[in-house]
Amino acid sequence: MTRARSIKKFMKFAGVPLAIFIIVLVVPFVNGFYYSFTDWDGFKATKLVGFANYTESFEDPRFWSTLKFTALFVVVSLILVNAVAFGLALIVTSKLKSKNFLRTFFFVPNLIGGVILGVIWQFIFNSALVALAEKYDWEMFKESWLQDTNKAFWALIIVTIWQSSGYMMIVYITGLISIENDVIEASQIDGASPVRTLFSIKIPLMAQAFTIALFLTLRSGFMAYDVNVALTGGGPFRTTELISLHIFEDAFAEGDFGTGQAKAVIMFLVVALAALVQVTISKRYEVQR
Amino acid sequence: MKKSMKLGAIALASTLSLSLIAIATPSASANTCPRKATVTMLGTIKIEIQDQFLATVAEYNKSQNCYTVKSIPGDRKLTFLQNVTPMYAAKNAPTIMYTLQEIPDMADKVMDLKTTRIARLVSKSLLASGNVNGRQVGVPSTAEAFGLLYNKKVLDKAGVDPSKIATRADLEAAFKKVEASGKKPLHFSAIWWSLGAHFTNIFHTNVGKTKEARLKGLDDLVDGKANIANNGTFKNWVATMDLLKKYNAGKVNLTDTEYDASIANLAGGDFGFMFQGNWTEPNLITASKGDDFGIMPLPISNNAKDYGNDSIPVGVPGYFMIDEQQSTTWQRKGAIDFLTWLYTSPAGQKRVAGPVEEGGMSFIPVYKGFKVEPKTYMAKEISKYASAGKTLDWMNSYYPAGLQEEVGKVSMQQYFTDKISAADLAKAIENAWKGKPKTWRGEAA
Repeated sequence: MTRARSIKKFMKFAGVPLAIFIIVLVVPFVNGFYYSFTDWDGFKATKLVGFANYTESFEDPRFWSTLKFTALFVVVSLILVNAVAFGLALIVTSKLKSKNFLRTFFFVPNLIGGVILGVIWQFIFNSALVALAEKYDWEMFKESWLQDTNKAFWALIIVTIWQSSGYMMIVYITGLISIENDVIEASQIDGASPVRTLFSIKIPLMAQAFTIALFLTLRSGFMAYDVNVALTGGGPFRTTELISLHIFEDAFAEGDFGTGQAKAVIMFLVVALAALVQVTISKRYEVQR
Repeated sequence: MKKSMKLGAIALASTLSLSLIAIATPSASANTCPRKATVTMLGTIKIEIQDQFLATVAEYNKSQNCYTVKSIPGDRKLTFLQNVTPMYAAKNAPTIMYTLQEIPDMADKVMDLKTTRIARLVSKSLLASGNVNGRQVGVPSTAEAFGLLYNKKVLDKAGVDPSKIATRADLEAAFKKVEASGKKPLHFSAIWWSLGAHFTNIFHTNVGKTKEARLKGLDDLVDGKANIANNGTFKNWVATMDLLKKYNAGKVNLTDTEYDASIANLAGGDFGFMFQGNWTEPNLITASKGDDFGIMPLPISNNAKDYGNDSIPVGVPGYFMIDEQQSTTWQRKGAIDFLTWLYTSPAGQKRVAGPVEEGGMSFIPVYKGFKVEPKTYMAKEISKYASAGKTLDWMNSYYPAGLQEEVGKVSMQQYFTDKISAADLAKAIENAWKGKPKTWRGEAA
């Protein structure tokens, strides 16, 4: 096959997706990268300003506190979402009668858009729980959780778990059912307890599922935006702004598109680095069959 | 064949010139438009009168054949600039835009309305905030006021006469009386825009008796020369906020759901006062099925004669602007035609100033030649303050974009919930202002 023909063949199959990829991802990305070196105000860029936007970003104390808050959010949500999702996956792959119903049941929250979900939970934390707390004297919920930075953090985590563990559950189910039955039966014949089977047979054999699920939760943790906007709106006192919301506020509310764009580039580097490290480490645990 | 084509061309040319004539006349009469132009408007002026505004738009669309006005909802959670910037970037800018503090940001993208008929129907002082470097980039919607709103029934029962409250001490006595009558004295709302724009305005507008002195106050903040912690007005203002915090019987809620709760509380008849504006009146009337809500000044010192204690801040809440960059001449004509119809035609005026129950927006008219006057109690009270000259400036019209978010969502809410001291609050306000553009001196936003 000549080179020209193979290019033609490639374009036939991949041309459209490639074009879409370039138009909606590569071009805006390059554009954004360029804008981070200009004095862009959202309407027009008049001149190049070098690294001024970057130095300004690093001098912004709120940017640092946001980064710290986001890192904490990513770590905690990563651990809890995956723990819950794996637990759910174990439940619905067991010999329960209602497992099909439960699969749907756990997955449904994922089908609700983040903003709607945030509004629903805002009502739960602000009004429903407070009203119940007053009636039954639950000290813990008497003041809305969204009023306090630490509690609002946990509110964000709870809603994130509620939303995304169903999706990750599907990933783990795929991993769990891909394990051949004979390996599991062999371990049982050898007298391994269910816990031992889980840790020595199932988890190593489905390490791929962990790589995918961890990557997805890591990414969505860094990118979390809609739940953040709708649930806490960054409040109280703009202390629960995750990095995406912070960038958005910086650019669109204050009109600092240059620094907003610079922060977005910094965030891209952070996410890319974190994802690379995570995938490299989890790949090591994958077993070839 | 050729001949008929020529004839067709002549016919086309004549219809085109006819339509040009139609464009030239200020309000195009029916059936002379070759095609309809769609004029988009971002938002519905305000969320409180959304239904009434949409009904008004429908009535306008039915009244003529040339233009279709369409309201684009936008995202309520976002600011004006957050909504409009992506629309401009997508080359899909709305024809009509409505905002206040972001006017300087938009000034180079919108038309000069100086020579339009409606701009000439407004007094110079009410046009001021819509004028950027000599260009009249916006025309006002209405006048609004904020201050202490009260439930007349509750105050009557408690034996409180709001017109006799002239000092902070009087106000405290009134709160005590309401409490003694078994009702809750006050719902002091922690919602960020109320604190960030309106409550802070009470300070910035009381800083000086003349406009120049008040603007100087802002200048000093921008230049970093202000030391507001030692400013007498600031101290009085903080003391007033402390008083309101002390008697606040509303549940402290820092999120947006707070707004509805505060309206429900005052309308429900359990609360005597709240700090808000007359834009809540339609909701209060609808919720309580009665017209029992008044407005009074928020006295910030203990000397009745001090500047501002007998006045309420009255200002224009927003200006209509018409895009000049991404709209067609035809669309701009339509936009002007719509605004002219809204404020000068009998049907439009009925919609603007008529009562809420009859589909009106209950606006206080700011255009000359209004035949319809609002009839609600609070609107009449505001007219009284205005005609007696007892009004204060809306210095919040000059706040740079993003400032009221920063001050309202962070420092004011922190002070509200006792997270920071008054000295911290002073520092935070100073920091928020430092280095911002002085748009009131003609600096670019």
